[in-house]
Amino acid sequence: MTCVEAFRKRGEEMKVLEVKNLKKSFGSIRAVEDISFSVHSGEIFTIIGPNGAGKTTTLEMIEGLVPPDHGEITFGDLSWSKHEHTIKQKIGVQPQSSAMFDLLTPEENLTLFATFYVKARPTEEILELINLSDNRKNQVKKLSGGQRQRLAIGLAMISDPDIIFLDEPTTGLDPQARRNIWDIILELKKLGKTTILTTHYMEEAEKLSDRVCIVDQGKIVTLDTPTALIAQLTKDREVHLSFLDGADAAQDANSFATVLDSVTRTELDGTSLKLWTEHPEDTLYDLFGFTKEKNYQVEQVSIHEMSLEDVFIAFTGKEWRD
Amino acid sequence: MEGLSLGNFIQFKQMLVAQLKLTFREKQAWFWGIFFPVILMTIFMVIFSGNSDNGFSAKVAIVDENPNPTSDMLLSQINQISVLEIESGEPVTRESADKLVEEKDVDAAIVLPESLETTSILLVVNKENEQSVITQALAGMLDNFIQQANLVAVNATPMYELHFESITSSDNDLNYTDFLLTGMIALSIAQGGMFGMVDLVEMRRKGLLKRLRMTPASMNLFGLSDMVMRLLFSVVQIILLSLIGVLIFGAKLYINFPSLLVVFLLGALSFNALGYFFSSFSKTTEAYMGVANIISFLMMFLSGVFIPVETMPEWIQPISNFLPLTYFVEGLRESMIYSTSILSSTIWFGIGIMVLWGAFTYIIGSWIYKTKSIVATR
Repeated sequence: MTCVEAFRKRGEEMKVLEVKNLKKSFGSIRAVEDISFSVHSGEIFTIIGPNGAGKTTTLEMIEGLVPPDHGEITFGDLSWSKHEHTIKQKIGVQPQSSAMFDLLTPEENLTLFATFYVKARPTEEILELINLSDNRKNQVKKLSGGQRQRLAIGLAMISDPDIIFLDEPTTGLDPQARRNIWDIILELKKLGKTTILTTHYMEEAEKLSDRVCIVDQGKIVTLDTPTALIAQLTKDREVHLSFLDGADAAQDANSFATVLDSVTRTELDGTSLKLWTEHPEDTLYDLFGFTKEKNYQVEQVSIHEMSLEDVFIAFTGKEWRD
Repeated sequence: MEGLSLGNFIQFKQMLVAQLKLTFREKQAWFWGIFFPVILMTIFMVIFSGNSDNGFSAKVAIVDENPNPTSDMLLSQINQISVLEIESGEPVTRESADKLVEEKDVDAAIVLPESLETTSILLVVNKENEQSVITQALAGMLDNFIQQANLVAVNATPMYELHFESITSSDNDLNYTDFLLTGMIALSIAQGGMFGMVDLVEMRRKGLLKRLRMTPASMNLFGLSDMVMRLLFSVVQIILLSLIGVLIFGAKLYINFPSLLVVFLLGALSFNALGYFFSSFSKTTEAYMGVANIISFLMMFLSGVFIPVETMPEWIQPISNFLPLTYFVEGLRESMIYSTSILSSTIWFGIGIMVLWGAFTYIIGSWIYKTKSIVATR
C-alpha cells in the first residue's frame, strides 16, 4: 500500500457522523427503538426498511428537526445542542416532501437558498450537475416529478456540504428518472461527499451503497456492505434447470446431482430441478456432461443471485414489500 | 460581525425579492387584494352615492280647468318649488292628467280648486305609488299649503315655527363617497391581513417551513420579508382605491400623513396578527379560509364600513365597538378625511384598542404554535 492509498484509507475510515442509542416515540407509537451506527467520510450509507420502519424519523433526528427522546448524535466534535448553526452550514438535506417554492424557477430557488449559507456553489454549476439547465427559467410547478426531485437534491447541494441526506429521493419516479437520480448520487461520491440515503428499493441500495443498514420496526436488523450481507446468508448458490424430455429426465438428473460432492441439496418439481451448490460452475459442467451423454435436452438453466431481499427475509422472517 | 450583517442583508434582500415574485405570480392575491376591493367599492359607490347630490324631485301635472284667484295663488306657489317639475310647463285638462298618472308619465296630478269658494285640493296618484315616498312628500307639501291658507282665512298668526340647521363634526363635510372610500381602504387592508396568512398554512402543509428550518436561514428575516411585502401590497391598495375614489367618484381627501402612516402601519400589523392567530390553529387552508371568511364577513357589516355604526340598532353597537375594524375604519377616516393630527387623543384611543387586538392575537398565536408545535410534528 502506497502512502497516498494509506492516507485515503484513513480518510475513508474517518467517522463524520456517529449515532448512539437513538430512541423516539410519538404518543404510544415507538418509531425508533434503539439505533446506533457511524458513517465514514466519503461513503454512501443507506438506511433501508419497509414503510414505517423508522427511517425518516431517524433521519429527521440526525438532521436536527426532531429532538430524540434518548441518545446522542455527533458530527465529529459537533453536536446539535452546542453547534446548531455550524452543523446546518455543513449538511445538505433533501427531505421526503421535497418542498420548495413552486411559483419560483429552479434558478430562483437555488439563488434564494444560496443566500442562507456562508459559502455556496455557483447556481450554474448545480443546475448543470442536476441536469436542469434547460428548465432553469420554468416555474417549479411546471416541472415533472423527476425534475422536481433533482432540484430538491440541487437545493441540498447548494452550500457544497460535506454530508448530504437524501430521504427516499426516487420514490414514485419512473425507471428512467430513478436512474438519473442514481447518476447524481454516484457523481456526489466522486466529488468526495458523504451521502446518507434512505430508500425502500432493495435494488437501489444494492447498486449504490458502500454500506447498508437494514431497519425494521425501529431497530437495526443488520448492517454491513451489500456483498458481506449477502455472503453471510449462505455460500450456496441456487441453480434452476428444466427439461424438455419430461419428468423422467428431471428425475434422472436429480439422481445424478445428489451424488455430486459439490451439491448440498436438491428439490424436484415435475420437469424442473432446483439444486444448491457452493460451486455452480463445476456442478453445471458435470451436469451438462451427464445430459449430453443421456441425450437429454435442457430447456432452461439459471443461477439465482442472492440479493438484499433474501437478506431481509432471512433476518426478519418477513416477505419484502416495496 | 460586519460580514454577518452584510450576509443578513443579502439574505433579506433575496427573501424580499422572492416574496415579491411569489405575490406577483399568485393570481389569487391580485384578485382578492386588488380586483375584488375595486369592484366592491365601485358597485357600492354607484348604488349608494350616485343620487346623493340630486336629492328629492318629483314630476307633476297641474289641472286648473277653471282659473280663479285661489288657483292662481296656489299655482304660483307650486311654481316656486324647485324640486317639483311641472309636466309641459303649464296646466293640462283633467282627462289628460288622469292619463299621464295612469301611464306613470308623472308621479302625481294636482287638481287646483275650481272656484274661489272651493276649499279642497285634489292629489291624484297611481294606485301602485299610493304609499311611495314621493306621494307622501307631495301630500305633506299640499297639506302645508292648506294649513297656511286656513291660517290666513281666520286671520291667525302662527305661534310655532320650524327652523332648520345642519351640523357637521368638522370643517369638512363627510359625504358618502368619502365615507365609503375610507371604509373600503380599511376593509381591503384588514382582509389582506386576515386572508393573507393562509400562505403560512399552505407552507406548513407542504413542508416548506420545515424545509427552511433545515437550513441556517433566519426565520425572523423570512417573517420580516413577508411582512414588508404585505405592507407594500397594502400601499398599492391604498393608492389605487384612493385614486379611483377621488378621480372617478369625486371623493375629497384631506390627508394628515403622519396620522395616516401610523394608523396604516399599526392597522396592517394588527390584522396580520389576527391572520397569524387563525393560521396557528388551522391545519388546512380550507379550515383557515372558513374562519377568516366568517370573521371578515361579520366585521364587514358591523364595523361601519358601509353604514355608520351610530345608525345601527342600539343592541348591535356594543358589538361594533368591540371589533378592531371599527377602530381601523375610524382611524383612517380621521387621518384621510378630517386630517386629524397624530397628537389627537381621538386617534390614539382607537389605535390603542386595535393594537391590543393585534398584540393579544399575536401572543396567543405564538403560544399555540409553540405548545402544539405544528411545525415540528409530522
